[in-house]
Amino acid sequence: MKKEEIYEKLNQVFQEVFDDESILVSEGTTADDIEDWDSLEHINLVVAVEKKFGIKFNMGEVNRFKNVGEMADTIAARIKV
Amino acid sequence: MKEYMYADLQIGLAEAFTYLVTEECMNFFRKMTGDVNPLHCSENYAKIHGFSDRVVYGMLSASLLSTLGGVYLPGKYCLIRQAHTKFLRPVYIGDMLTVTGTVYELHDSVEQAVIKVEMKNQADEAVLKGRLYVGFLERREK
Repeated sequence: MKKEEIYEKLNQVFQEVFDDESILVSEGTTADDIEDWDSLEHINLVVAVEKKFGIKFNMGEVNRFKNVGEMADTIAARIKV
Repeated sequence: MKEYMYADLQIGLAEAFTYLVTEECMNFFRKMTGDVNPLHCSENYAKIHGFSDRVVYGMLSASLLSTLGGVYLPGKYCLIRQAHTKFLRPVYIGDMLTVTGTVYELHDSVEQAVIKVEMKNQADEAVLKGRLYVGFLERREK
């Protein structure tokens, strides 16, 4: 899956989780950029991303994500395996 | 009180309890919430609108999801993050409800369990269906 496709799917997930069709994420997007991105929504987001891509993160990965770019890189690596 | 931790759960694990809805429950709920809608307070009004008696507050039934999560599944260390409910049939005073929770999804990366909830009356009719999304507190007792 190309990086653009990953971000396209990520945008769909973010828009659904935060109920905001205007959200467009990029590599540098963090929780500070999305008003409702708190710890509860982070959990919802992780679960929604796992379902969308058919993958499972581990707890260490989830805690290490500093921005959407790191999440996308992990998704890309997981899909290749 | 059950004390399941995330690692103790498996898909399909179920817990259940029963609850008798009484006049007293309705009075407490009305006083607590201030919901004086006649559907719940007036037998005449309820019957005019096609119900056989005053209808028990849906949120009273839904509040049993708190009991399910906090006491039975997972119990003591439960942290309810979301609760979704659908009301399928009216509940009346005197109904004996059976509340069943079944582990439906487990999300290891965030240690969150999704509990499928079903509530039935004494006639074995489903009155409520729902989902509980629960996390877990750490054991901190000495």
